[in-house]
Amino acid sequence: MSVQVRDLTKVYQVPVKQPGLLSTLRSVFHREYREVRAVDRVSFNVEPGERVGFLGPNGAGKTTTLKMLSGLLHPTSGEVRIEGRRPQDRSVDFLKSITLVMGQKQQLIWDLPASDSFELNRALFDIPRQVYRERLDELTALLGLDEFTDQPVRNLSLGQRMRCELAAALLHRPGTLFLDEPTIGLDVEVQAQVRQFIDAYNRNTGATVLLTSHDMEDVAHIAERILLIDHGVVRFDGSLGELQRRFGPGRLLTVKVGRTTEAQEHLLTGVLGMSAGAAASWSKTVAPDEVNAVLTRLLQDLPSAEVSVGEPPLREVLTRAFGEARERREEGA
Amino acid sequence: MVGALARVSLLIAMQYRSDFVFNGLTGLLRTAALVGPLLLVFQHRETVSGWTGPEATLVMALFLLLSSMTGALMEPNLGAVVEHIRRGTLDLVLLKPADAQLLVSLSRVEPSRLWDLPAALLLGGWALAQMPAPSPWGVIGAIIAVLSGLAAMYGLWLLAICTSFYFVQVDNLRFLLMSASEAGRWPLSLFSGWLRVVLLVAVPVGVVTTLPAELLRGRGSWEMVATAVAVGTGFLVVSRLAWRRALASYTSASS
Repeated sequence: MSVQVRDLTKVYQVPVKQPGLLSTLRSVFHREYREVRAVDRVSFNVEPGERVGFLGPNGAGKTTTLKMLSGLLHPTSGEVRIEGRRPQDRSVDFLKSITLVMGQKQQLIWDLPASDSFELNRALFDIPRQVYRERLDELTALLGLDEFTDQPVRNLSLGQRMRCELAAALLHRPGTLFLDEPTIGLDVEVQAQVRQFIDAYNRNTGATVLLTSHDMEDVAHIAERILLIDHGVVRFDGSLGELQRRFGPGRLLTVKVGRTTEAQEHLLTGVLGMSAGAAASWSKTVAPDEVNAVLTRLLQDLPSAEVSVGEPPLREVLTRAFGEARERREEGA
Repeated sequence: MVGALARVSLLIAMQYRSDFVFNGLTGLLRTAALVGPLLLVFQHRETVSGWTGPEATLVMALFLLLSSMTGALMEPNLGAVVEHIRRGTLDLVLLKPADAQLLVSLSRVEPSRLWDLPAALLLGGWALAQMPAPSPWGVIGAIIAVLSGLAAMYGLWLLAICTSFYFVQVDNLRFLLMSASEAGRWPLSLFSGWLRVVLLVAVPVGVVTTLPAELLRGRGSWEMVATAVAVGTGFLVVSRLAWRRALASYTSASS
């Protein structure tokens, strides 16, 4: 087992204060705190080499979980083992076996070229020089770092910086990757490059990947298993397909027709309630028990149409999943 | 590892060359401002509270040594940690496979503050040349006291760093520590009883400045050396414990 998590809980004490001068003065002498249960008895296992996506709305407890798994935060209660080690002990062996990449924070030294940060990591992670050179060459080729590792980090674009971040984070060849919003703010091209790189790293090294992201492309591309977290509680644990089947509003029917008559258009939009998309196509998410009826009608009235049935967009699935989780929470409250 | 951390800190500091030169000039002015009052006092009197001019100059030289070490190695780290905590980048520092205290203690150095060091050596050398030669035991005791005092001051600054885990805004504490340290440039016997104790065990500047000077002018005792070692060890142990506690309650800035 690569990652074992049992009843992991994190409770924060958050100071509370009413607005206004009087309450501010009062809080100077007597501060009141409220308990916030950021993660609540979360349990799961991850097998070596698995790619898991933590999904949930803002403030769901994803990042807190990731930070406890990487040893930055001490759990209030519960147990975590990463390859048999307790993260909060911060043992050298543990820290050498993991990495955390945060899209919004950087480890590269702002005023120096990225190559100096790489060199510092070489020394800190105790990587033999020969091995370091080989890995750096490999990462440089994969991430296309050639042209800018000698410029101060402050002069790099966000995309260039993120690619250097990945190189710095993976020089020591960690077996477990924690990725917190790794593609946030990047342009489409760099996002794709980052995803492909993570994919290749996972396949080549067999590393375990735990990812949080609000970008559905990231999730669809990187994660093969989804853990849905809401208010610190795991609401779903399964494959992407299972998630779509369980929370999906139905199947996505897409119809492509070369040229339509007025009557056919009326059928598509008026009767079937489909919405027109690009390149003479119409689509609609249909409840599973209605799919057959709609397909029959389409084949009858539009025999020349090209009809495909697929999964609805992940975003739509997640919106429903989050909504369902919220309803269940409100019912329980 | 220490070498690699120091190298990077040095590289960062060297990025701003004008700072390096400017701090050098400020250092010279600062030394002049420190020595000025001393010259003024000893123009009119032979001794002050039992200290001759050269002996008081020795205390001043030791104070410059301390302020150089504090300015170069201790104070910048407090600033760096506060910045790391505020921006949430301390996470990434703590993920390096090294003792977190070491990482934080070497996260930023300010080599330009080492400009005070030549001034300290010159002043100290001049003062010692005017005084009777110290005994070998005096010299050894003084070295032990200086090292213990520097360790104690490091512990004090680390304690200040620990408070930044809870309060984030600790600028006032920084100024308080720096102002309190300024008292170390005068021999402790100039201060009243309770203040003397404070400057030995609470803000232990006296351990770096007055105790070694006492040992070098032949008025020291083994009790002084023992006090210095006890204060140094005490601060190191307490600050280490406080550091571990601070790390355990680290909440990390949200992303």
